[in-house]
Amino acid sequence: MSILRTEALEKTFSGAGAEAAVAAVRGVDLAVEGGEFVAVTGSSGSGKSTLLHMLGGITRPTAGRVLLEGIDLAMLDDDALAAVRRRRIGFVFQRYNLLPELSLLENVALPLVLDGVGHARSDAAAREALEAVDMAHRAGHRPDELSGGEQQRGAVARALVTGPAIVLADEPTGALDSTNSARVVELLQRLVTERRQTVILVTHDPAVAAAAARVVRMCDGRIESDSTSGATAR
Amino acid sequence: MRLRTLLVRQWRNRPGRALAAAASVAVAVGAVVATWAAADASRAGYRRLTETIAGVPSLDITARDGGRFDAMLVPRVVDVPGVRAVVPLFYRPTLLRIGDNRLREMAVGVDAAALAAAGLLALEAGEPCREDDEVVLDATLAKGLGVGVGDEVLFFARRRIARMRITGLATGDSLRWFAEGATVVVDIQALEAMSLSTAQVDRIRIALAGDADRSQVMAAVAGRLPPRLVADVPVGRASMADDVLHSANLGLDFVTALTLAMAWFIVGNAMLMNVAERRRGLSLVRLLGATGRQVRRFVTLEAALLGGVGATVGAVVGLAAAGPISAGISRALQTPATGVAVHPLLVPMAIVMGVGLAVAAAWWPAWEATSLDLLEGLASAPPAAPPATTRKLLVAGGLLTLVAAISEALMYVEVWPPRASVVSGIALLLAFVTVTPFLIVPLVRFLGRFIPDRWRVEGRLAIDQIVRQPIRTALTAGVLVVAVSNGIGLGHAIRDSVEDVLAWYGRMLKADWVLTQAGALSVSREERSADSRRLETLVRGLDGVADVEGIGVATGRVAGTVCVVIARDMPDDRPLPLEPVGMSPDEVRAALARGEAVAGTVLAQRAGVKAGDEVTVEVFGRATPVKIAALVVDYTSGGASLQLRRDAARRIFGMEAADVLLVTAQPGRAAGLREPLEANAREYSMLLRSFSELRRGIDVIVNGVVSSLWSILGLGFVVGSLGVANTVTMSVLEKKRSLGLLRAIGMRRGQVVRMVVLESIMLGIASGIIGLVAGLTTALFIQLASQPLLGHPLKFHVRLDIIAVNLLAAVVVTALAAWLPARRAVRLDLLESISAE
Repeated sequence: MSILRTEALEKTFSGAGAEAAVAAVRGVDLAVEGGEFVAVTGSSGSGKSTLLHMLGGITRPTAGRVLLEGIDLAMLDDDALAAVRRRRIGFVFQRYNLLPELSLLENVALPLVLDGVGHARSDAAAREALEAVDMAHRAGHRPDELSGGEQQRGAVARALVTGPAIVLADEPTGALDSTNSARVVELLQRLVTERRQTVILVTHDPAVAAAAARVVRMCDGRIESDSTSGATAR
Repeated sequence: MRLRTLLVRQWRNRPGRALAAAASVAVAVGAVVATWAAADASRAGYRRLTETIAGVPSLDITARDGGRFDAMLVPRVVDVPGVRAVVPLFYRPTLLRIGDNRLREMAVGVDAAALAAAGLLALEAGEPCREDDEVVLDATLAKGLGVGVGDEVLFFARRRIARMRITGLATGDSLRWFAEGATVVVDIQALEAMSLSTAQVDRIRIALAGDADRSQVMAAVAGRLPPRLVADVPVGRASMADDVLHSANLGLDFVTALTLAMAWFIVGNAMLMNVAERRRGLSLVRLLGATGRQVRRFVTLEAALLGGVGATVGAVVGLAAAGPISAGISRALQTPATGVAVHPLLVPMAIVMGVGLAVAAAWWPAWEATSLDLLEGLASAPPAAPPATTRKLLVAGGLLTLVAAISEALMYVEVWPPRASVVSGIALLLAFVTVTPFLIVPLVRFLGRFIPDRWRVEGRLAIDQIVRQPIRTALTAGVLVVAVSNGIGLGHAIRDSVEDVLAWYGRMLKADWVLTQAGALSVSREERSADSRRLETLVRGLDGVADVEGIGVATGRVAGTVCVVIARDMPDDRPLPLEPVGMSPDEVRAALARGEAVAGTVLAQRAGVKAGDEVTVEVFGRATPVKIAALVVDYTSGGASLQLRRDAARRIFGMEAADVLLVTAQPGRAAGLREPLEANAREYSMLLRSFSELRRGIDVIVNGVVSSLWSILGLGFVVGSLGVANTVTMSVLEKKRSLGLLRAIGMRRGQVVRMVVLESIMLGIASGIIGLVAGLTTALFIQLASQPLLGHPLKFHVRLDIIAVNLLAAVVVTALAAWLPARRAVRLDLLESISAE
């Protein structure tokens, strides 16, 4: 059974009048298996980020369904959706989105803290996640004391800390130089190969997309192509 | 780590923001505590002032036909609510020999020890007289004679000559309260025994508690008296002061309520900004899985903590500020400062209020933050206010206007008491603030047209900042709208009220000298009438006297309602001393000449009487039908007065004696009349006061009340300024990144300062304009409240000076409030500002 599945997924952003409405995603059917590394690519405005936001329960679809481990996200209320995001989904953003007030360790532990996990367990899990991304030595540093690449690896650790069913990464290398970009992509690949972590990555960079085993290309809100390259072993 | 840690880290990371939020609560709570304490000080000051000017508020029980009466006739009245003390008085003219001096003085017999214990007899030296051979003298008299405590006087009584020892010297003010004209105080039983008049008294004076309603107490006491006795306001003590103070108390209630409203805006705005600034952080926490409840709990916990700290600091600062403010008010009222008497629950209640206010104020932005679309929350630009919010604000504005209108209407038709105008005023003001988001944007755009061309860029950016956040702008403006509206509304009301009182006073007392009946009534009404005629004749015959007008005063009932009946000569060759409502002075004069009467507006309202009615008037036990020709604006006895010509009063009620004589001197000869008038006054137990002395007393009351109200209004403006300064500081902190970016792309420091200051000034002017409309409407509401309060509407005048001062203050306050944060903003490190999240 697919870990994530969408059925006729649509998202229309309403503007001031009917003419201003924009259909960002139109009738997308997609199934992602556990341990798969999927890259969603397309030009700017193709709907790839909107698709990712719907997959993560950040925005609700206008029509269609998103089923994560068989649960229809559209049927959940806000609190239940928050719980799904907390426990079953890990997010990585282009702008890292680490809280500047907290140390890296505390940032990584935050999803567990929100879930009511005790201090010792959340810290241990955060440290483990940081080790997984080779950032344990920077655990006590604040985000503004880290480079962009280090912050992004920290963000990946935060995405992993709850042991999510799926990691959603929105242009995770968009703000990085080529060296750091390569390190983050390699890290994601390693998660898939070593931990059988399911990863869906949105990127407009063909080189980054090439790292994924499967590439879904979007155009005008629809899936234009869906190909498996075999770059990452399943 | 727990969520609390995130909170602490956020404070540590951005201490300015947390401090500003706590400071806003401190300012708000401090303002409430200081205003509350200052209002209490004003009320206490008003009480002391009235006691100083007119003596302790009091009533007299006298014989209906004049003369002495048996004290045993008086039932127990000390238990009537509002009665502070009951003082039997026995007067006796006597001859004193002190050293070589022989003096004819008025002695009064009282229980001096009990009076002193009740705080009603103040001694400059010594102690009250207790024994038969002890006496207390007026301190001024004793000083003039060169005698003091321990010296002896010879007291010539009807039965014997008593050798008495001076035990104390009484202050003139305290003596004046219970013994007008008397300078010698003796134990009442001793004086009665010396006068062979056992258990006889001239009057029983009842001291009222400070908060007692004179009319209510009078009605309750009158209800217990036998037919021979009557309760009335002491002659010559018009309760005008009470009425000025009644209006002033209403003003104090209004100011206190407005301070609370202002506190709400200050805290609300600070909390809104505090939460809004962290919109992205909160959205991120939500995105990572925090539930809405968790985020709201987080925000409200923060508000409670900041509110607790701010409220504690505010309460302490407010208390510290209350001392000097109260002392200033006491100085303005020319009463002795007695320190700040703070209700023991004020501080704990203020702290609870501060915390509650902060939590309540944080709840809405917390709710908004958790309702916000996650992607919008994570975006760089702040989201626009949703249409639903603006709709809600409009509906709230409409509802508040409705509440204000209904409350005012109910107050106007006297279903609700005059104090309901406070509710109306506050509801109306809140309605204005609620619709401010819709008014402020077009107003600011309009004001933008007047920005000089060379500041066009800064002006446009400043307008953008205001327009982008209309709700936050409205909350900042709300503080100023309240302050300006307060100043304009109450400023108009105070001036209108004072002018009304002074105009009445000027009409009523047109004379150079005023002779009033002193305390002794040891003669019958017939004897008094004869004395009065003789005195009038004597005074008229004095060289230099141009005119004498006699006024007789008696307590009566009109259609069962207790009132003061005033019989006045009102000669045709002098202006009519009355202001008729809806009738010309000539028509009233003609009606008075026919023997008709005019009723004070308050009496008319209480007794349900209108012009043209024929009512039964009861004076000296004689009930006679009298036609009411017109209603007049009058403050005598709070407007519960019936006035008629003296010849008519003589004919109808047998009111003969003049209790007050108004003496007008020939040009340039007023000063020379003092001595002969003093001699006559002493002879006939009258008190002589010059018009300027009387006017000074009234001026002290009026100026004191006006100054104290202005002080509290000024305090409101200072608080508003602090609130605005705090808000502008927070706003600049929040815009650190945008300001840094503007500088990075080439904006000069001066331009940034101008932009921030222009934004603030435009906000000040726009708020001033809204506050002006709100203030004038408030003034109209207060004017309407004067109808049930005074029985007549106050004339409303638009006062340009008050408007100009308030608008100017709003602009200056906002310019100064923006100057410092703007200077600080341009000094920020460019890189630090750009990297600020």
